[in-house]
Amino acid sequence: MKSYLTLNNEILNHYHQTGKIDLEKDREATRQYFIEHVNQKMRKFSSLEEKIRFFIEEGYYEKEFLQKYSFEFINKIFDIAYSYRFRFQTFMSASKFFESYAMKSRDGKEILETYEDRMSIIALYLANGDELLAEKAIRAMMEAFQPATPTTLNSGKKARGELVSCFKLSMDDSMNSIAENLGYCLELSRLGGGVGVNLTDLRPLGDPIKGIANRASGVMPVAKLLENAFSYSNQLGQRNGSGVAYLNIFHADIEEFISSKKPNADEKIRLQTLSTGVIIPDIFFELMKKDEDIVLFSPYDIYREYGKRMSEISITEMYGELLNNPNIRKLKQINARKLYTEIKKSQFESGYPFEIFDDNVNKQHPLKKLGRVKMSNLCTEILQVQQTSIINDQDTPNEYGLDVSCNLGSLDIHHATKFHDFEELVDTAMRLLTQVSLMTNIKNVPSVKKANQMMHSVGLGVMNLHGHLVTQNILYGSKESIEFIDYFMEALNFFSLKASMLLAKEKGETFYGFEISEYANGHYFEKYVNKLEKEPSELVKKALGNVPIITKEMWRKLKEDVMKYGLFNAYRLAIAPTGSISYVRSCTASIAPITERVEIRDYADSRTIYPMPFLNNDNQHLYVEAYDMNVYKIIDLYVAAQKHVDQGISMTLYVTDKWTTEQLAKAYIYAWMRGIKTVYYVRQRLQSLEECVACTI
Amino acid sequence: MYNLTYEAVNWNQSASSLAKIFWDQQWKQMWFPEEIAVSKDIQQWRNFEHQETYKKVFGGLTLLDTIQTNIGMNEIAKYNPNLQEKAVLTVFGAFEAIHAKSYSYIFTTLCHNDEIEEIFQWVKKNQLLQYKTSKIANIYSSIKENDLVSLWKAMFASVMLESFLFYSGFFYPLYLGGQGILRNSAEVISLILRDESIHGVAVGIFAQNIFNQFSKEQQDELKNWGYELLLDLYDNELRYTDEIYRGTGLEDEVKAYIRYNGNKALMNLGFDTMFPEEEIHPIVMNGIRNEGSTYDFFSQKGSTYALAKVEPITDETFHFDILLDD
Repeated sequence: MKSYLTLNNEILNHYHQTGKIDLEKDREATRQYFIEHVNQKMRKFSSLEEKIRFFIEEGYYEKEFLQKYSFEFINKIFDIAYSYRFRFQTFMSASKFFESYAMKSRDGKEILETYEDRMSIIALYLANGDELLAEKAIRAMMEAFQPATPTTLNSGKKARGELVSCFKLSMDDSMNSIAENLGYCLELSRLGGGVGVNLTDLRPLGDPIKGIANRASGVMPVAKLLENAFSYSNQLGQRNGSGVAYLNIFHADIEEFISSKKPNADEKIRLQTLSTGVIIPDIFFELMKKDEDIVLFSPYDIYREYGKRMSEISITEMYGELLNNPNIRKLKQINARKLYTEIKKSQFESGYPFEIFDDNVNKQHPLKKLGRVKMSNLCTEILQVQQTSIINDQDTPNEYGLDVSCNLGSLDIHHATKFHDFEELVDTAMRLLTQVSLMTNIKNVPSVKKANQMMHSVGLGVMNLHGHLVTQNILYGSKESIEFIDYFMEALNFFSLKASMLLAKEKGETFYGFEISEYANGHYFEKYVNKLEKEPSELVKKALGNVPIITKEMWRKLKEDVMKYGLFNAYRLAIAPTGSISYVRSCTASIAPITERVEIRDYADSRTIYPMPFLNNDNQHLYVEAYDMNVYKIIDLYVAAQKHVDQGISMTLYVTDKWTTEQLAKAYIYAWMRGIKTVYYVRQRLQSLEECVACTI
Repeated sequence: MYNLTYEAVNWNQSASSLAKIFWDQQWKQMWFPEEIAVSKDIQQWRNFEHQETYKKVFGGLTLLDTIQTNIGMNEIAKYNPNLQEKAVLTVFGAFEAIHAKSYSYIFTTLCHNDEIEEIFQWVKKNQLLQYKTSKIANIYSSIKENDLVSLWKAMFASVMLESFLFYSGFFYPLYLGGQGILRNSAEVISLILRDESIHGVAVGIFAQNIFNQFSKEQQDELKNWGYELLLDLYDNELRYTDEIYRGTGLEDEVKAYIRYNGNKALMNLGFDTMFPEEEIHPIVMNGIRNEGSTYDFFSQKGSTYALAKVEPITDETFHFDILLDD
C-alpha cells in the first residue's frame, strides 16, 4: 500500500466527517510521494551538460532546436526556471505531472525530467532559436502561462505526438468524402486527437441515391462508423481517440441523432463513446416560443435547389424560402417544444448533446465575409470558418477546402494579475501559440494543413477564475465577479489583438481573408471605441492587480494599427475547459465554478483527491459549489467574458436531480437570449438518499 | 375463491410515506453493467497478484445477490400487506437480478470458462458462505401469512444481507479501485453499492414501521433475536474474511469495515449500534461516496447521470422578468 494515497484520501475523509480541511495531510502526501516514488525513480545527473547530452545521445530530445542556442544560454534558461523554487501545491498536481507529462525512460522505470526541465525545454523548443522569446517564455510559463496538453507533453521530444490535438472536419454528401474523412479520423486519433465532424450536409435516411428513392441510410450509420474509427486508434492502448458529431436541428435525422445518447437506446443506433452536438439557429427558438411546429429538411434538396450545402446557409434567413419552395420536401413536422424537451431529457440522462447557437456564433463572427462557422470541436470553444473539400475519384485530384486544428494555451488568471507586465505576458503567450502553428504540419489531412498555414489560428484562454476570486474575497457570480471578468477579458482581447498586429507588422504578412474581415474595415472595434468608460470598484481594481484598464483612446490607436498592419492570426481567443493542465498548475478549471471543494477525480485509471486551490478553513464560504449556485448568474458571467472572445467558451451547466426538463430548457433559452455561443455538457449532481429521506422525515 | 376482493395499488394515496421516494430514487439510478468497459481492466488483471481472493469475493457476492433476487425480495414483497411497498420491493428485486448478472459480466470479461466454473463450485462447497446464505434464506422462507413477526424477521435478515454481509466483499474492489487497480470493476461495484444502500435504508424503514406496532415485550424479544442473529453472522464473517483474504494482509481492515457496516445496518433498523467506532481505511470510505465525483468524460461512464423529470415547455419558460431582478 502506498502511504501517499492513503494520506491523500484522508483529506476527503476528514472533510466529510468534520467539515474541516486538513491541508497538512495533502502536503504530507505530496512529501511521501516524492520520498516513496519520485526520488526513487528520478535519474540523477551530475550537471545540466551531462543531462542534455544524455537526452540527445539517447534520442530522447531532438537535437536541432537545442543546437540553435549556446550551452550558456540553455543553462541560463534552466537557471531561470529553477530560480522560482517551484513547489507542487497539491498531491494532485505532483502526481498528474509525473504520471502524465514528465519524460520517462523507454522502459518506464525512470523519471527523466522535473517540472522545471519540462518548462525549460518547451520554452527553448517553441522559441526555436529566438533567445529573447525563450527568456520571456520561461518566465511566462513559470508564472502564469501554460500551453495546452499536447504542446506541454510533446515539445522537444524526438519520439512525439503532435503539438496540437483537436480538430474540426467537414464531411460532404458523397461516398468519397465520407471515406476520406473516416481516414482522417483514423489518422487524427492516432495522434491522440479529439475530432469534430459535421454531419449536417449528409442526406437523411430514406433519401434518394442517384435518383432512386429510399436508398440512403442517413447520418446514424456514419456516426457509428466514426465511433468505431475513434475507438480503433487508441495511442498504444493509453487513451481512446475521441470525437463529436454535429447535426443541424432542422436535419431530417435529428430525432434519431438526439436519442442516440440515451442509455436505453437501441444498440444499433446507440452511440456509446461518440459525443454529439446540435446546431440550433435562432428560428428554432422563435418557433418554439410561438409553440409552433418545425419542418425538417434534407440537405440533398437544398444542394440541388440552391447549389449550397445545408451547413452553408443560414436556416434562420432561409426558413421561409425553404417552406415555400415546392422543390424542397417537408420531410417531417414536429412540435419545437416537444423536440427541445427530448433534447433536455437526453442531456439529463447522458450529458449530451452539446448545443451551438448558430446565429449567435455567426452574427458575432469577425470573418463572416469569408464564410460561416458551421460547427464546433470536442469542447465547444473552437469556432472557426470552414470550407468543404471536394473529394474526387482517385483519378482526379481533390480540391481541398479549409478545416481546423486547435492550438490552445491558457493564462492562470491569479498569477496573470501578479505578472509584472500583463502586455508582455499576453504578447509572449500569443507568440508561443503562433510558433506552435508555424511548427505544426498535419500532412495527412491536407485541409487542416492548408488552413493552419493560411490562418495561423490560435486559442488563448484562461483558467483559475474561481480560485482567484476566492483570494480576492469575491463571490463567484456576484456583480464584482462579473465586472472583474469583463475588465480582464477586455484587456486580454486588447493585448492579443495588439500582439497579432505586431506579428503581422514584423512578418509583413496577414492571415488569409484579413482584407474582407471586420477587423480590416474597423467594424470590429466599434463597440470598444464608442464604449462608456467607467471606473471599476475598488474591490475589482485590486483584484485586477497589474492588469491595465483599457481606455477608448487605447482602442482607437489599436484600431488604426490593425487596419494599417493587419493581423497575423485569424482567430485568437477561446476558453477551453482545461482539465489536466489546471490540475498540474493547481488552478481551478477554466472560468467555471468549482464542483466540489474537495474533489474526487477519477481519471482513466486512478482516483485522486484534490482540495481546491487556496482553500482553507476560513474561505470555504467563498467556494460555493456550482450546483448550489444560481445558474443564471453563472451564465451572466460567461456572457461578460464572451463579449471579448472571438471564438467560444466551454460552458458546462450544473443541475441537480431536482431539476425538471423545463427548468433546464429555460436556462438554455436564457443563455441563447444573452448571446452565449455554445453550451458544453450538462452535469448533474444526484441527491444522495440520506438527503432525500432527511427532508421527508 | 370468488369472494376474494382484489385491491389495486393506488399511488395517489400516501399509504407509505417514503415508498414513492424509494421508488423514484431507484429508477433514477437505472443502469446496466454493459455500460461500463470492464474490458479495460483485462491488462491489469493478467498481472494481478491476488486473483484467487478477487474471484472468491465476487463468487460470494454473486451468491448473496442470487438469493436476494430469488427468495429475499420476492418473499418479503409477497407477504408485505402495503401495496406501494410491495411495488417498491419488486423493483428492488429486479435490480438485485441486475447485480447478480453484473458479477457474471465481470467474471466473463476477466476469467476463462474453467476458472468461472471452478469458482461456482467453490461457492457450493464453501461452508462459511453456505452457512450465512442458508441462515438468511431460512428466515425468508419462514414468513407466514398475516404474521407480522415473521415478516419483520425477514426484513431484518434482508437488511443484514444488504447493509452488512455484502461489505466483506465490497471492501476489496473499493480498496483496489481507489488505487487505480481494476478501476472499472470497482465502478460496477460502486453502482451496485448505490442501489444496495437504498435497499438497506428502505427495507429498514419498512421494518421499523412494523416494529412500532409491536408491544414492548414483543419488541424486547425481537431485539434480542436480532442482536443474536447479527452476532452469529458476525462471527461467521470474521472466519470468512480470514479465509478469503488470506495472504493479502488486509484481514484487520476488512473486519473493521464489517463492524462499521454492522452498525449501519442496525441504524437502518432503528436499533442502537453495538460496535465501537473505529477508523476505516480512507480509500475504501471514499470509494462509497459516488455522488458527484468528477469523471473523465473520455473513459468511465460515471454514476452521476440519471433519468430526467419531464415537464413541458410553456409560454412561461420564455419569461425572465423575475430572474433579472436580483
